[in-house]
Amino acid sequence: MPSSRSLSGLLRGSPFKPIQEHMRVVFSCVCLIPPLFDAVYREDSEQVNDFAQQIKELETKADKLKSTFRLNMPKSLFLPVDRKDLLSLIGDQDKIADTTEDIGKTFLFRDMVVPEEIKALLDELLEGTMEISAAARQMIEQLDELLEVGFAGRELDKVTQMIAGVRTSEHNIDEIVHRIRRKLFTLEKELDPISAMFWYRIIDLVAGISDQSENLADRVLLFLSK
Amino acid sequence: MEIIAAYGTVFLILAVIFGLYMTWGVGANDLANAMGTSVGAGAVTVKQAIAIAIIFEFLGAVLAGGHVTDTIRKGIIDPSGIADTPEILVYGMLASLLASAIWLMIASAKGWPVSTTHSIIGAIIGFAIVALGPEAVKWQKVGGVVMSWLISPLVGGTISFLLVMSTRKLIFDTDNPLKNAKRYAPVYIFLVGFIISLVTLFKGLEHLHLNLTTLQSFAVATGIGLLTGFIGWMFIRGIKDDPTANKSFSYASVEKVFTPMMLFTACSMAFAHGSNDVANGIGPLAAVFSIVTSGGEVMQKSTLPVWILLLGGFGIVLGLVTFGFRVMQTIGKRITELTPSRGFCAELGAAITVVIASRTGLPVSTTHILVGAVLGVGLARGIGALDLRVVLNIIVSWLVTLPAGAGMAMIIFFTLKGIFG
Repeated sequence: MPSSRSLSGLLRGSPFKPIQEHMRVVFSCVCLIPPLFDAVYREDSEQVNDFAQQIKELETKADKLKSTFRLNMPKSLFLPVDRKDLLSLIGDQDKIADTTEDIGKTFLFRDMVVPEEIKALLDELLEGTMEISAAARQMIEQLDELLEVGFAGRELDKVTQMIAGVRTSEHNIDEIVHRIRRKLFTLEKELDPISAMFWYRIIDLVAGISDQSENLADRVLLFLSK
Repeated sequence: MEIIAAYGTVFLILAVIFGLYMTWGVGANDLANAMGTSVGAGAVTVKQAIAIAIIFEFLGAVLAGGHVTDTIRKGIIDPSGIADTPEILVYGMLASLLASAIWLMIASAKGWPVSTTHSIIGAIIGFAIVALGPEAVKWQKVGGVVMSWLISPLVGGTISFLLVMSTRKLIFDTDNPLKNAKRYAPVYIFLVGFIISLVTLFKGLEHLHLNLTTLQSFAVATGIGLLTGFIGWMFIRGIKDDPTANKSFSYASVEKVFTPMMLFTACSMAFAHGSNDVANGIGPLAAVFSIVTSGGEVMQKSTLPVWILLLGGFGIVLGLVTFGFRVMQTIGKRITELTPSRGFCAELGAAITVVIASRTGLPVSTTHILVGAVLGVGLARGIGALDLRVVLNIIVSWLVTLPAGAGMAMIIFFTLKGIFG
């Protein structure tokens, strides 16, 4: 139908829906990190395998969502936010899933024994990571509302506060990471050198999740300042 | 003159058939667009949309369709040069009708966003150039019509942009959006009834022998506005806050207030469509009728008979019932991206623009104006994603439709001339 196509062709699906869906998958990826560590604590390799596998599957799912999203973003689209910012946003979200997968993989190829001394600090780090990624997800869930009010007004204030919240959490996590590194340093002599090296690596990876969550907040801030 | 006397009835029957064919096409395709947003937003079911369309298409055609019809039947060309051979004008008008109806069928099959208005205007100009010579075309008037095709989507877009901004200011960006939505909704609905009826009534009903003064027009329009506002209030007052729906989307309850409001814009869209697009089919028919009944008077001094407007409304309804029903179903399913508040602003902006154009006798494209209105909402950062390729398609179809309609009208004109002599 001639004219009919013009209107339904004009209205494309909201880009925020797939971004939110992607973020939900990414978040469920991150949610598997604490149980994964728990399994590592218990040295239950079967469970470790199982969780690492689940993370891998979710990461693949997120990857697919990301590709579909990118394929459906032709340059002819007129969007309320910058197209490049949207593409970078989903890219940053995807990096969180990638990092999570890296953590899982590390435990897969290397049976790690957790030094008793860092367990408490690790738990603190994991808790902070869950908090910040939950906050990032909540922020992404607000994109609908932002669209409804045209990225301005009260909703903007609310999201700006959320962004500030994510930033503070990141700052706290930096501090926790510093303490774990300090602790690891004091333990270095007792630890097998390669294990120590891998622990530094794992801590960096976990800290990476909060860095990337902060990146998400910066991207969303760009939407608001358009 | 002899040809008119000999074949007058045949010409008239042909004109009625072609006119019905054309309005049928308009009803089958075009109207679905105008109301698709309301169906998509869930404000009305397809059946309700059909019922609304039947009533308001008729009203629009009969009350406000006369001005555009006059433009098409006698505003674009000056037939004074062929006063001795009025049958030329009859062939031309028949050819224009058939040409644009065929062109619309082709375009429908191919899925091109073609406008009925553009094809009929192109066809009339086309036949006039070959039959009467280019000097018989009132180029100044044509220029005005073409300008209106450019300006009307801009106007529609501007109105919807401002409407979206006003809903934000008054409703969404406040401490209690739901309360404010319920407070201002009747005002918006009042505006729908008031503006549409004021534009229509203001010195616009001469053909029904109803001459209202400025004051009377305002009074009646206010009355209609208050009535619609009251009906709207009845719908809206029962809406309660829905915390479960708000969880996933905090403006869910507010949007619920806008859903019944789209019922009113659906009515106004059908009215606007009837007031403008019905003329595409019946303008040439009215011209043929006028020439035949006056025994060959090409200047068409007589006023437009109401039965022709009714016939046009009937054709559109026929198209809607036989075919448009399905089109509306498919479109309704596709257009779900507009939230009720956005759909309301877009439809109201478009309807106001179309009715103003109808009142000034400008044949415009309802669909293109609606596209302009939706873009206006998008400019207010109110829509997730709009595909601008559609705008390009529309511009291309524009550039193709005018010569295509003209060329086909020329061919059919010579064919008719060959048949009747």
